[in-house]
Amino acid sequence: MRWNKGASHAYSACLQSTAGLALSSVLLSSLLSIRPLFGQDQSPTYSLSNQTSAPAQPASTQRTLLIMIDAAHGGSEPGAVLNAAMPEKDVTLAIARRLRQELAARGIPALLVRDNDATISTDQRAQIVNSARPALYVAIHASSQGAGMRLYTAMLPAAGDNSGPFVDWQTAQISALARSQWIQEQVTAAIQKTGFPCRSLIAPLRPLNNVVVASLAVEIAPTTSNVSQLASSDYQQMITAAIANSIAAIRGKLESGP
Amino acid sequence: MIPRQLVFATATLFSLAIGISLYVWQLRRREALSPRPLESAQHVAPPVSGPTEKVTVWVAHDDSGILRAQAVSIPLAAGRQERAQELMRALVDIYVSKNSPHPLAAGAEIHDVYLVESGLAVIDVNLAFADGHMSGILAEELTVVSMIHTLAVNTPSLMRAKILVDGKERETLAGHADLSGFYDVGQIAALAKQLSSQ
Repeated sequence: MRWNKGASHAYSACLQSTAGLALSSVLLSSLLSIRPLFGQDQSPTYSLSNQTSAPAQPASTQRTLLIMIDAAHGGSEPGAVLNAAMPEKDVTLAIARRLRQELAARGIPALLVRDNDATISTDQRAQIVNSARPALYVAIHASSQGAGMRLYTAMLPAAGDNSGPFVDWQTAQISALARSQWIQEQVTAAIQKTGFPCRSLIAPLRPLNNVVVASLAVEIAPTTSNVSQLASSDYQQMITAAIANSIAAIRGKLESGP
Repeated sequence: MIPRQLVFATATLFSLAIGISLYVWQLRRREALSPRPLESAQHVAPPVSGPTEKVTVWVAHDDSGILRAQAVSIPLAAGRQERAQELMRALVDIYVSKNSPHPLAAGAEIHDVYLVESGLAVIDVNLAFADGHMSGILAEELTVVSMIHTLAVNTPSLMRAKILVDGKERETLAGHADLSGFYDVGQIAALAKQLSSQ
């Protein structure tokens, strides 16, 4: 076959248009395959741990109330060894599941970032949360040190630059920090009113820095010297009910925009 | 025919080689079986001789989860950097001592403290310090804040601080406190204030 220059151009144009069509159809089908995190036909209590993508919701003044609960650690990363049979990752998962139940009982939809013993990096956790755009992100931690509960907001590292079109990953929380601190104050005050020991602090803790919505970390310690109290269902119930009540009390503020 | 002397010399050398091999093998076996002298796990502070100065260090107390100021004496150092190192070592000596209010693992030490011109301090701790550290948000942040706040209060013009472990960047101290970034001394001072009150 003899090729001339014109035929060659026509052939490459044909190839380009075919490739363009194929690419367009792939993009369109992938866009259509993205479904809302939970629609009307889906249960509000749902685990995100097996999901790879979630749509970013546009910022609005009235948002769907959604709380994302993150059981810290997991998989190959056990966290603190509270005692020989109790790694932190198991206690945080049990408390996270209870908190989801307590919130659901108050009509507040909640999702778990992990609902099994999966290893999820802090960057992946932040990506999941940032895609879902919940009204509040709560990371659950457990410790044998101290007594009661500590609530933390982010302590952002020095030299973050959010002046350009892109948000600096290390200081992404900066736009939601005031809201996080307000929620921290409200929740701390509500829990302290019940007589349970509760402290408010800031902490250099990831992924709080990387999350663009209001974020809290809760570190739960036993009230006695016996660390196995953390695994007791009564204690977990009491703690999670207190947190859920305090969140329910500020529901109106959480539903309103940032 | 091979000369007799050569046969004799070869046999002598061969038996000598076997003998030395056996001797070396025996020495290695003996060394493997004999108990090794334990490396000193406990940090030993050098005796303070010569002039000293009184400084304030911020000491973490695990029982109450707070920081408390404590006056200690450190050797009078010639330069800023040596003084910063003495400060950090005095603080770690409190943490590795008997009846420590915030125990660190045996062998925990400060390798070095570097003061960089731009108001940056780099604190390099050893592996035992981080690997044996108690895991927990409060436990880890008490350590970080007590070190950086102590350094900042005693080192004018310090703006930022960074903690390295064995000369390398590490993601967290023991699973919680983020060590990947630079700490702002002003934020640490605010946190130290929070941690100093019940």
